[in-house]
Amino acid sequence: MGNFGQLMDGFAVALTAHHVMIMVVGVLLGLVVGVLPGLGAPNGVSLLLPLTFTMDPISAIILLTSMYWGALFGGSTTSILFNIPGEPSSVATTFDGYPMAKQGQAVRALTLAFTSAGIGALTGVIVITLLSSWVANFAMRFGAAEYFAVYFMAFASFIGMAGGSPFKTLVSMMLGFAVATVGIDTISGESRLTFEFDELIGGISFLIAVIGLFGLGELLLTMEEGLKFEGVRAKLDIRTIARTVAEVPRYWVTLVRSALIGCWMGITPGGPTAASFMSYALGRRFSKRGKNFGRGEPEGIVAPETADHSAGSCALLPMLALGIPGSATAAVMMGGLMIWGLSPGPMLFSTRPDFVWGLIASMYMGNLIAVVLVLATVPLFAVILRAPFTVVGPIITIVCVIGAYTVANHVFDIWLALGFGIVGYVFKKLDYPLAPFVLAMVLGDKAEDAFRQAMLTSDGSPAIFFANPLVATMMGLGIFLLCLPLISAVFKGGFFGRAGAGDAGAQGRSA
Amino acid sequence: MDISRNTMEIATACATAAAGGIVCYGATLNGITWNDGGPEPGYFPFYIGCLIIFGSLVTIGQTVLRRATVSDVFIDGERLRTVLAFFLPIVALTLVSAWLGLYIGMALYIFYAMRVSAGFRTPASLFTAAVVVAVNFVIFEKIFMVPLLKGPILEYFGIY
Repeated sequence: MGNFGQLMDGFAVALTAHHVMIMVVGVLLGLVVGVLPGLGAPNGVSLLLPLTFTMDPISAIILLTSMYWGALFGGSTTSILFNIPGEPSSVATTFDGYPMAKQGQAVRALTLAFTSAGIGALTGVIVITLLSSWVANFAMRFGAAEYFAVYFMAFASFIGMAGGSPFKTLVSMMLGFAVATVGIDTISGESRLTFEFDELIGGISFLIAVIGLFGLGELLLTMEEGLKFEGVRAKLDIRTIARTVAEVPRYWVTLVRSALIGCWMGITPGGPTAASFMSYALGRRFSKRGKNFGRGEPEGIVAPETADHSAGSCALLPMLALGIPGSATAAVMMGGLMIWGLSPGPMLFSTRPDFVWGLIASMYMGNLIAVVLVLATVPLFAVILRAPFTVVGPIITIVCVIGAYTVANHVFDIWLALGFGIVGYVFKKLDYPLAPFVLAMVLGDKAEDAFRQAMLTSDGSPAIFFANPLVATMMGLGIFLLCLPLISAVFKGGFFGRAGAGDAGAQGRSA
Repeated sequence: MDISRNTMEIATACATAAAGGIVCYGATLNGITWNDGGPEPGYFPFYIGCLIIFGSLVTIGQTVLRRATVSDVFIDGERLRTVLAFFLPIVALTLVSAWLGLYIGMALYIFYAMRVSAGFRTPASLFTAAVVVAVNFVIFEKIFMVPLLKGPILEYFGIY
């Protein structure tokens, strides 16, 4: 296996004292971001990104990914202790985590969550190690049409697999595309959609959109809810932790199922949030102890946590190998790669193997560090969270405002972020998904370029998107995904809702 | 004063449809057809705009059709006041920051938030504001060397 040797080289890059220190700092920052509601992983990474412009790309990506791991882990702490998810992806952890903590087993709940999260994350990283260079090699054969087909598939799967209204997903995504086209057109050099405003010539940075949508929007929501932390006290003792870790292998069926769901949802852009909910729902259906779900059942913690983290790490696979991020945070990181002058995608594996494999090796380390640190810092964060949100809120606001300014040193960007904040608040309340918006903003230019190049080579005939079996299959799959909501609406019973009976009926009718 | 969810759904969908309209109009300024060099720059954005309008119209349609059954409240008067009491100071913060620089803006904002919103005493609020400014100054000016907007007052005192 060539991959193994390269992975070892990667460890040589990642295991220097400098990089391990960066991992620790990143994980700690990530924990803060994950624990505080209103400050999530996509937003945290966006805020940190401008500060990494002067670092070398390897250190910078290690810092950002470590922050991502920290944020994923930190979100579960608040879910379990305070019944308030620090991250959208840890909502499903509250269902059983908080009840178990209330029964006086807070430490058991936390340990279960972090151990299964660690297992999920490592599964994800192993999948990345095994598959990424294979996928990258495969993608070397891609031309413009194939790339457009892959983008099309990614976007179609958002629309097809979204839980809510597919039309809201469409609107959110297309608005992202529209915002991405503002500024100078890369092919013709004309300025588009600027309407003579000088501030818009440079385009709108996706970082501003993320800070507004995910940061300020989330803060407004949290303020409205009038958040009060009334938590469960947790006293850590080593013996309970050890006993719980030994208990985890008993749930291997749930672990395997959840990790599979997570990997799948991470690689296809379903994202960690969808993965954790799906894993919880399937766990409740198929587990022997499914009826205990919601009353502090261990498997009810293991299922969403494993899926959340394996999806979170797998979301980086398509970003690295194809240049298509699998989650909002991965989208932000990909934007970072482009700013550092690296172009994510298959070429990256041959031009910068040190970068790719250093990053992959750092994922193993980063997740191990995160498991240890998250347990060690539980008492600390439990104290911080007792501060009233009227104090924490304004401080997060300051961080967001400064973050918006530091993207390009423009005051105008702060106004834009405020605007995006209102949009984020309203969209969130009305169940418009925000991740497609960010994904479209980051990929907008690339998707458009691929489309225009493909159409140029074919003299404007869309037949190029069905010219060979590969591209035709991908386009066909994309179209199928687009039609999924329609199909499941026709066969009432839903796609994920009432599987089993509904599906059997559906098959009967369609046959 | 309650705002119903249906009202907000329709208002939002109208706003996104209007945004789609603006995108389509902006695209026509760049040309939306084909010429010798392939698609003109407005070609792609024009269809994006059309899709936005399409999605918005369907959402309006769906909302109107199920109007009788859904009677959710989007936000009531009290919550709206809470949100505005949080949001308007941020607008003020941005205005002041654009004029006098970020450090003065954040000092005033944190003082206001601690004193008025959180109800701390004046000395404690002043102290918090000072700490926040100092921490940010050290992080941005010293550690990461990313200078923030200073504004005329700080420049008068020779802080760049």
